[in-house]
Amino acid sequence: MLIPPAGPVLTSMMPANRRSFFQRISGGLCGAALAQLLNQDGLLVNRIIAAEATGTGGNNLQPRTPHFEPRAASVIHLFMNGGPSQMDLFDPKPVLDKLHGQSYFDKIAGEVESPQSAGALMRSPFKFSQHGQCGMWVSDAMPHLAQQADDIALIRSMHTTNLTHEPAVYLIQTGKMGPGRPTLGSWVVYGLGSECQNLPAYVVLDDPLGLPVNGVENWHSGFLPPLFQGTRFRSTGSPVLNLRPDVDRPPEVVRTERTLLSRLDQIHQRERAGQSVLDARIASYELAARMQIAASDALNISGETQATQEMYGIGREPTDSYGRRCLIARRLVERGVRFAQLYINGQIWDNHTGIATDMKAACDRTDLPIAGLLRDLKQRGLCDNTLVVWGGEFGRLPIAQLPADKDARKAGRDHNKNAFSTWMSGAGIKAGTTFGTTDEIGLSAVEGRVSVADWHATILHLLGLHHEQLFVLDNGLKEKLTGVLEARVIEEILT
Amino acid sequence: MRRFCFFIGFIVTATVPAWPLKVIADEPVGVKTNAGLGPSTFQSDIQPLLNRKCLNCHGADTRKAELNLAHGEGLRKGGESGPIIVAGEPLKSLLFQKVNSGEMPPEEKDRLSETEIRLIEQWITAGAVFADSTGEHPALQIPNQHDVIPIMLRRCTVCHGHRRQEGGLNLSSKATMLAGGKSGPAIVPGKPDESRLLLRVHAGEMPPHDRLVEASVKPMEDSETSVLTEWISAGAPEVDVQPDVATSEPDSLVTDEDRAFWAFQPPQPVSLPHVRDANRVRNEVDAFVLQKLEQAGLSFASEADRTTLIRRASFDLTGLPPKPEEVQSFVNDPDPQAYEKLIDRLLASPRYGERWGRYWLDVAGYADSEGKREQDLPRPFAWRYRDYVIRAFNTDKPYDRFILEQLAGDELTDYEHAEEITPAIADNLVATAFLRMAPDATWANITGYVPDRIEVIADEIDVLGSAVMGLTLKCARCHSHKFDPIPHRDYYRMVAVFKGAYDEYDWLKPEVKPGIGPVSQDFHTGRHLPFVATAERRAWEANEARVTEEINAARQSPEPDDRIKALEAQRQPEPLVQALWDRGEPSPTYLYRRGDPLSPSRLIGPGVPSVLTDGKTPFSVEPPWPGAKQTGRRLAFAKWIIRPEHPLTSRVMINRIWKHHFGFGLVRTLANFGKAGTPPTHPELLDWLSLEFVRQGWKLKAMHRLLMTSTTYRQSSAMTEQYAHDSSNMLYSRMPMVRLDAESLYDSLLLVSGRLDERQFGPADPVQSRPDGLVTPVGTADGWRRLIYVQQLRKKLLTHMENFDFPQMNPNCVERRDSLVAPQALHLMNNGMVLELAAHFADRVTREVGADSVKQVERVYGLALSRSPSTDEMQIGIEALNQLTHDWIKNLQDTGTADSGDAQAKALTAYCHAIMNSAGFLYVD
Repeated sequence: MLIPPAGPVLTSMMPANRRSFFQRISGGLCGAALAQLLNQDGLLVNRIIAAEATGTGGNNLQPRTPHFEPRAASVIHLFMNGGPSQMDLFDPKPVLDKLHGQSYFDKIAGEVESPQSAGALMRSPFKFSQHGQCGMWVSDAMPHLAQQADDIALIRSMHTTNLTHEPAVYLIQTGKMGPGRPTLGSWVVYGLGSECQNLPAYVVLDDPLGLPVNGVENWHSGFLPPLFQGTRFRSTGSPVLNLRPDVDRPPEVVRTERTLLSRLDQIHQRERAGQSVLDARIASYELAARMQIAASDALNISGETQATQEMYGIGREPTDSYGRRCLIARRLVERGVRFAQLYINGQIWDNHTGIATDMKAACDRTDLPIAGLLRDLKQRGLCDNTLVVWGGEFGRLPIAQLPADKDARKAGRDHNKNAFSTWMSGAGIKAGTTFGTTDEIGLSAVEGRVSVADWHATILHLLGLHHEQLFVLDNGLKEKLTGVLEARVIEEILT
Repeated sequence: MRRFCFFIGFIVTATVPAWPLKVIADEPVGVKTNAGLGPSTFQSDIQPLLNRKCLNCHGADTRKAELNLAHGEGLRKGGESGPIIVAGEPLKSLLFQKVNSGEMPPEEKDRLSETEIRLIEQWITAGAVFADSTGEHPALQIPNQHDVIPIMLRRCTVCHGHRRQEGGLNLSSKATMLAGGKSGPAIVPGKPDESRLLLRVHAGEMPPHDRLVEASVKPMEDSETSVLTEWISAGAPEVDVQPDVATSEPDSLVTDEDRAFWAFQPPQPVSLPHVRDANRVRNEVDAFVLQKLEQAGLSFASEADRTTLIRRASFDLTGLPPKPEEVQSFVNDPDPQAYEKLIDRLLASPRYGERWGRYWLDVAGYADSEGKREQDLPRPFAWRYRDYVIRAFNTDKPYDRFILEQLAGDELTDYEHAEEITPAIADNLVATAFLRMAPDATWANITGYVPDRIEVIADEIDVLGSAVMGLTLKCARCHSHKFDPIPHRDYYRMVAVFKGAYDEYDWLKPEVKPGIGPVSQDFHTGRHLPFVATAERRAWEANEARVTEEINAARQSPEPDDRIKALEAQRQPEPLVQALWDRGEPSPTYLYRRGDPLSPSRLIGPGVPSVLTDGKTPFSVEPPWPGAKQTGRRLAFAKWIIRPEHPLTSRVMINRIWKHHFGFGLVRTLANFGKAGTPPTHPELLDWLSLEFVRQGWKLKAMHRLLMTSTTYRQSSAMTEQYAHDSSNMLYSRMPMVRLDAESLYDSLLLVSGRLDERQFGPADPVQSRPDGLVTPVGTADGWRRLIYVQQLRKKLLTHMENFDFPQMNPNCVERRDSLVAPQALHLMNNGMVLELAAHFADRVTREVGADSVKQVERVYGLALSRSPSTDEMQIGIEALNQLTHDWIKNLQDTGTADSGDAQAKALTAYCHAIMNSAGFLYVD
């Protein structure tokens, strides 16, 4: 049983935070009426379970002081579910050109998910060249991102522990290969709270075309309170589940009913003086009402200029859908959302076939919007406090995977847990860096190996959180995002 | 003096054989010294230092983590995590890591000084020379069969084991290797070059690369091949090693001092405390509670009124509010035993099992699907276990029997040879699904490897530990428990208990329906047994026979196709039981260093945690009946668990019952009675209740009656001046006000709106996913059934359940949290089903009391809140109904369809909707 963070820690933290919080709202960010509301916010978790209860985050969404001076205040996580192919995007392997067609399966038989379709070593169908001042290698599959090479730090030496989607996705999202743990975003808002109380602290923008592997577990708060769970915003229709009534009723009826409810609740509360949970309940109804307005506003991009929308590829295919999500992500972090996470449908990067075609299609849908997002954040100065993170759950193998008809033109690549590439950009990142190497065929990370825990520790570090100090006590065990094994902040990519 | 040093293969992740000790050099490498320090020797510097700082816990007698630092031999041997010294490499040496990080010794004051740490570093850097040696080389460690069998289990026996012998070959023992298969013996002792096994491995033929995934095995590692080669070269020696089990010798890893901890001692008889205000004492519970209150200068709160009591008791026992008529008759009942009668009536309600069974399903981790993988494979027969649990509660099955059936129901009767499967035999099998509830992805080959299977076993042991034993057993999976005296070894003794049914090297996968794959059906699948009660099976067979007969008849008719199709639809799926059963012939159990199956250490036999025994009684296992193939291990374990004097079994359960009545447990950490848990606030009460529970025949209903008829339970939940002295209610100076949980809320919404279909049992009602992601229940012809009967798919939970804190079962939930977040408000305000139910509620009220507003408000309060409205509330209600009617008429006029009757109905719907959203509806005083 996990003990939710409880009173003692919270009360000891409150004075300092309270002060900074009031300073913040006196700037008019959220409105003074909220002060009263947030007074009660700390009561939202009402059943304090155990005397020993401790944790290092909070049990509300008030902003909290990080462990040390943060570089970033918010994160945009561009999750590339499916496993983008590193040797076709960021990690050129000339040796593969030479060895193209040679058999290799027997050497890696234990590392292949589908042995029956395993082919020979395969060169990349894409051309690599160097870009930017830094001379970063990027393939011609991502021409727009290539132009922003000087804005990103590339990690080529990531590795993970399982070559199946579900466990690997659990690991990169939650630090462990199974369900039930809080995700990175949940840990971040548990540690830092939120800068805006009208919107959820952790927003998920999923693809209307479908959910990624593991579905809603990708933004679950695990053993942390549901308060820290990601909230799905859909980019079309009603943005949040139940945000709009399923059945339309006249506004005056809704208003009268609301007034009635609030009068009844006041009587109920008056008769139960001292039951603080009832104050919190009333507050949660008020927050729900405000969210209806704030969420709609954040999602409304009609006020953005034509130029801005074009920069994201909005209004044309194939970039419109992902472009919208990128632009909304910017609007969310602008409004103080702590953690915005973007998905793309199904397993678009899971290119078991069609590296040359299907993977290119995935690039075409995301390349321009992402480059546009990086440019826009820069133009608006938001990149000084926003961290952008790009990557999937694993990489792909240097050998081909062939379809049933063995047509090499349709060749894809199978999963690879031993090497993949990711990048980060924005606050605190030493842009233009290429870090880590893989072996000559891109099978395994060799130099500067970066584990998923290292990657997590680095993101937390940029937010001013120490991965060893952000924990929840479970029966004496410190439950952490990075688990029990040691994790290292990748200093080499930080400014 | 001859000197030598050891290379000790320190295990990080690689596959290192279980015989790490090898001599690699006779002379130490050049001794490097640190500035200011002379060369340290083991005898003069290291051993005295260890003696001073470490022997309290790692001495010859204590051997914590199986580490003995009292002499060089112990250091060389290492502990449960493997070797602790890598000669020449302090940073890779566990010994240095632990003292250098300050992790060891655990007490701040005992920590090594900087100089002492450097001494150790320097000694290891210099080659870790044991100068105290007698000067003799220890014998070169030659691998024996226990180094080889784990390799065979990992890589070979799935196809060449005792269940399946491809090519007639069984590689699970030396004897069967020698016997060989169709092409002759697998090994020729002393002649690796002639041993077929090695030849095939070296040729890359075995395990066959293209079938690796299909069989969920990985290729043999080089280190494994070399162990195998060395073993064969050495003549394939076998040593006689007995599994590590409890004996009549005192246990060296757990001391009597460890056993002295309160939770490891049986509950003790206690005498009733003396209290000053004895007339508030209704039963023993009150005496214990009041004593503590009086010690703090407090007393019981005033008694809640009858209206409050009946609503509280009804929700507590049935999860539903009382009917207005029931409230009336209770409030007006002149009988002094009116309250006791009420409790008895509620306990007899079939709704009781649905309420209390749900608590048990939480700790069991009940789900209707496997989880973990995208496909979220359904468990089509899990509902039988749900029904078993509900019935067990309703019939007040004694808790000891309940546990016995769930842990070892398959070993209670010889079901395979029974003339008739009685309902009782079938129930015993259904009960074992308790141990089949963990999330499980092993049905798919790619997530069905040994480590994936071990996760499932670990989850089940976690469920057992947290639900039944109140112990965090899972901590001892990778190392000895950090807080409780549960050695690493004891965890693997438990693993051995389960081995007959849960064998990671002989695994039964969950069944896969066509269309989900790729899965090879060649390897063992099956979590289902055909042993439903004979009557049920006969009924199914009769139906099949009838359908077949009618189909045959239909074939003669002029247009048979449609008729046949209609008849085919009448076929029912074969009735099966999802169960766990002992299959006999378990693989040997090895202790896994750091929980890693690639690092097997010594052989372990079945047993129970030593700290819960006297430490010198062997764990005795008998076949469940003469000639049984079953090991009987789980049966022996279950019988041990339910002994009346077991220190934890009754305490853990009575504490859970207490929690569901009083808001939190006497031990607040419901699943941890160990040292990292919280001590009981009322230890005497806990012990008294535990003994009373057993004395009353482990009957839960007797316990409910006892607790609920106490003064303690009948207190008001109002905050009084006592609050300041008992703010966290540790002393139970009031009852807690609680929010309805997901089930009570859902069921109550249905009940008050007259849409609750109270049919019990059977397959779960399906759920559906809207395009926007909202998951809703599919109703029945009569409305909707209680939430406990709605399908619980891990990846498709009802949005209602998600919003109202229904837990993710990973693997189970020992205590739900109670959150208060905006999506709950949004759900109750905006969800279509809630509004639909409000409309039904309004219809019902009009049907029952007509169009009069006063009567309507009165009835709404009676049904939803089980009380009458106050004058204020009545007035507000009437005003609101008028205003809402007015709003609607105006709106309907605007759209040209004004009908005052319609407007009134809609207004009442809005009023009912507000009541369903109100705090009065959601909270119980």
